[in-house]
Amino acid sequence: MHYGMSYSYYILLFTTVYDFCTQPGKAGASSFSTTRGGASLQGADLYRSLHNWLSEHCKDMREESEKLSDLDLLKYYATQWDRFTTGARYVNKLFNYLNKHWVKREKDEGRKEVYTVYTLALVAWKQNFFKHFTGPGGMSRLTQAILRQIEQQRNGEAIDSGLLKKVIDSYVSLGLDEADAQRQNLDVYREYFQIPFLTTTEQYYNAESSAFVGSNSVSDYMKKAEVRLQEEADRVNLYLHDSTRADLKTKCEAALIGDHQELMWGEFQSLLDTDRRDDLARMYSLLSRILGGLDPLRVKFGEHVKKAGQAAVEKVLPAPGAVSETGKAETLDPKAYIEALLEVHSKFTEVVEGPFRAEMGFNKSLDQACRDFCNANAACTTSTRSPELLASYCDQLLRKSNKDLDAESLEAALNQTMIIFKFIDDKDVFQKFYQKKLAQRLVGSLSASDDSESSMITKLKEVSGFDYTNKLQRMFTDVNLSRDLSERFKEKERTQSVSADIDFQPLVLGTNFWPLAPQQTDFSIPREIQATYDRFTTFHNEVHQGRKLTWLWHVSKNELRTTYLSQKYIFMTSSYQMAILTQFNENDTLTYREILTGTKISENILKPQLTLLVKAKVLLQEGENYDLNLNFKSKKIRVQLNQAVRSEQKAEAKEVLQAVDEDRKFIYQATIVRLMKGRKTMQHQALIQDVTTQISAKFTPKIPEIKKAIDYLIDKEYLERAADSNNTYNYLA
Amino acid sequence: MADKPKQTVILQTSDDEQFTVEKAVAERSAMIKSMMEDLGDQEGMPIPLPNVSSSVLTKILEYCDHHKNEPLPAPDASDADDSRRRTSEIGEWDARWIQVDQEMLFEIILAANYLDIKPLLDVGCKTVANMIKGKTPEEIRKLFNITNDFTPEEEEQIRKENEWAEE
Repeated sequence: MHYGMSYSYYILLFTTVYDFCTQPGKAGASSFSTTRGGASLQGADLYRSLHNWLSEHCKDMREESEKLSDLDLLKYYATQWDRFTTGARYVNKLFNYLNKHWVKREKDEGRKEVYTVYTLALVAWKQNFFKHFTGPGGMSRLTQAILRQIEQQRNGEAIDSGLLKKVIDSYVSLGLDEADAQRQNLDVYREYFQIPFLTTTEQYYNAESSAFVGSNSVSDYMKKAEVRLQEEADRVNLYLHDSTRADLKTKCEAALIGDHQELMWGEFQSLLDTDRRDDLARMYSLLSRILGGLDPLRVKFGEHVKKAGQAAVEKVLPAPGAVSETGKAETLDPKAYIEALLEVHSKFTEVVEGPFRAEMGFNKSLDQACRDFCNANAACTTSTRSPELLASYCDQLLRKSNKDLDAESLEAALNQTMIIFKFIDDKDVFQKFYQKKLAQRLVGSLSASDDSESSMITKLKEVSGFDYTNKLQRMFTDVNLSRDLSERFKEKERTQSVSADIDFQPLVLGTNFWPLAPQQTDFSIPREIQATYDRFTTFHNEVHQGRKLTWLWHVSKNELRTTYLSQKYIFMTSSYQMAILTQFNENDTLTYREILTGTKISENILKPQLTLLVKAKVLLQEGENYDLNLNFKSKKIRVQLNQAVRSEQKAEAKEVLQAVDEDRKFIYQATIVRLMKGRKTMQHQALIQDVTTQISAKFTPKIPEIKKAIDYLIDKEYLERAADSNNTYNYLA
Repeated sequence: MADKPKQTVILQTSDDEQFTVEKAVAERSAMIKSMMEDLGDQEGMPIPLPNVSSSVLTKILEYCDHHKNEPLPAPDASDADDSRRRTSEIGEWDARWIQVDQEMLFEIILAANYLDIKPLLDVGCKTVANMIKGKTPEEIRKLFNITNDFTPEEEEQIRKENEWAEE
């Protein structure tokens, strides 16, 4: 009808409107005598007639529509709307002159309810057609028809969403802003459509989800909910106004997730137990949509990880009383222990990064749980046990004897140990044990590679800072310095053409950086090495004047060549063993007393060493007498006699822990003094708190220890209790 | 754009004369432009302009052709923010072009109103305004051949209302 309109018809209509408006005197006499008189445009009549005609047309449609319902009604409405708005758009143009002059003037003069022609058409539609669909319950029959269509679609039937879009768009268009026709006004859409729509949506999903949950698994329900949420999001794109999106989402989420969150929380544990990652991911994505939906999951997840970690440790823990093939009590293998911890960590890191999309809260729960089970579990009766085991594991990795790993996998394994390191509370304990083991590796040349050693130190430095690794670093430097020194010594020996019947390899190390102390014993230097001893001492004093040289006999190693046996053997011994055996250079039989006076080694050290030699059948014991075994036989040419004494191993761990405690005392004191020096005066509580925070990075401080340190500092007059309040301390310079 | 063959439209005046003009020229008229947008091209169909005579259209097409490359004013630009309208200045070319007899001048103004050519309507009205400026009512009446239909009382009333404007 409209596309067939010709130029001439268009112009004819336009000109008619123009002429009507511009002809003076054609209007009724009434408007002539008003104040708008002379220059008044003759639009009022035309405008009124147009309005009447439009209203009549709308009333006709209303009559027609009353016979229709549901889909037919929607179709009729949509078709009429199309026709009507297209027509109105043309009429608006044709009546352009009226719009621009008469309507404009009326509006400028402040008259309400005068609209440009297109708007007038919409107003007529709204007043005479749209508002008359009132059905039962006050809801518009038209809206009801839309909602019924939507319900059918939700029930899985196919519907014409284009039709719905058309009708729903008309609701938006009918929101006419009185003040400004350009501005979108969603009142009509909201009142006539959105509110009833949201209500029915809520009812629909309340009913559906309750029914579904009753007869299906949680897993299936989550799938269903996910699909439903997606459908509703699509619905907005298809035929709703975008402003509905947020409200619809909230309503659906409340009905589909919020109302069933307890159910999902309840199911979470079993999903974790069976490791159903798809379902976990689904649950995460659903619950993350509602406020606080994830909180209980985070808590449960943390507990689960903690339990899993503790269970893993229990699995690798040898059964109490279990014995190995050799008859010794089975001990916990550090490797198995650390690997058990790592496995749990890596498994749940995967879960966090997969189903939980690496969300912050879950990461935090994971970290906390790992920290918990790494520091307290069945293997760790005290908090110092875990760092000790970790240090032992590092030692295993870094030793020459570890041949299973190439450089790359070793590096990877070290990186893994750093994961556990970060969770360890008592990092100072680890440091002490690590230092001890490192010393053993360096002194005994047991390190697999210097690169790996320094790489590990670098890693520790990255996490815990320069101070933490300073000593470890220095130990390395010392070994190198010492190598130079011994080269120079050898050079000197050569130039002085001293007959070197003994191959001597000294390690000169700084006392402060090494966890090595001389044993409490006398030692009479065997005359066989006395000359070398003297020469080196002299040499050292020449090079480093004023430095005290302490000989650590118990860490040195010796090799002795036998001359008294048919087969030549090389005995690898400790210095004590060497001292004992050299006694037999003069005698084949010695009494215990003779050995004791000959070596001057204190009894508690001498006895186990003698036992070792007897066990290896180098010496034969007869009561108080020890005989050199002249028929000694061994399959190997090199005989290892230098074995660690069991009691020493235990003592070692104890020693380290004592050293840790000693160090901690200083840390407490130093931290307190540093704080007090800065603040001059502090409350007891604040002081305790600040000390705790500062120390936590190194280890878990204990409040009684802090108190002890404060008391000690008061005794030493670094601090005093304030005179007016015994709750406050002052710093004494 | 420049390479495209220029589209033309046919305008037909009240005295049945036809003018073939460039589309861009015809579209100076907001009315024609709006209609063409609505109805699409109807090639060969003349557009009747029953309110415009051929002599006036000839004159107006001169104007439109001269201004065809200028931007069209926004269709709903309000008078207040259109600074061009606030002065009585008329462009040099326009001033020369509008030097026509009084009857033609009014025909142009009417046609500009009908065809909805805003800048032209402005030029026309400014010209009239310039003619009035500085003249007494009596002179104006004489100029436009208007009979005085005010009673002396009414005249007195108006003079009072406008006293503020006199020096």
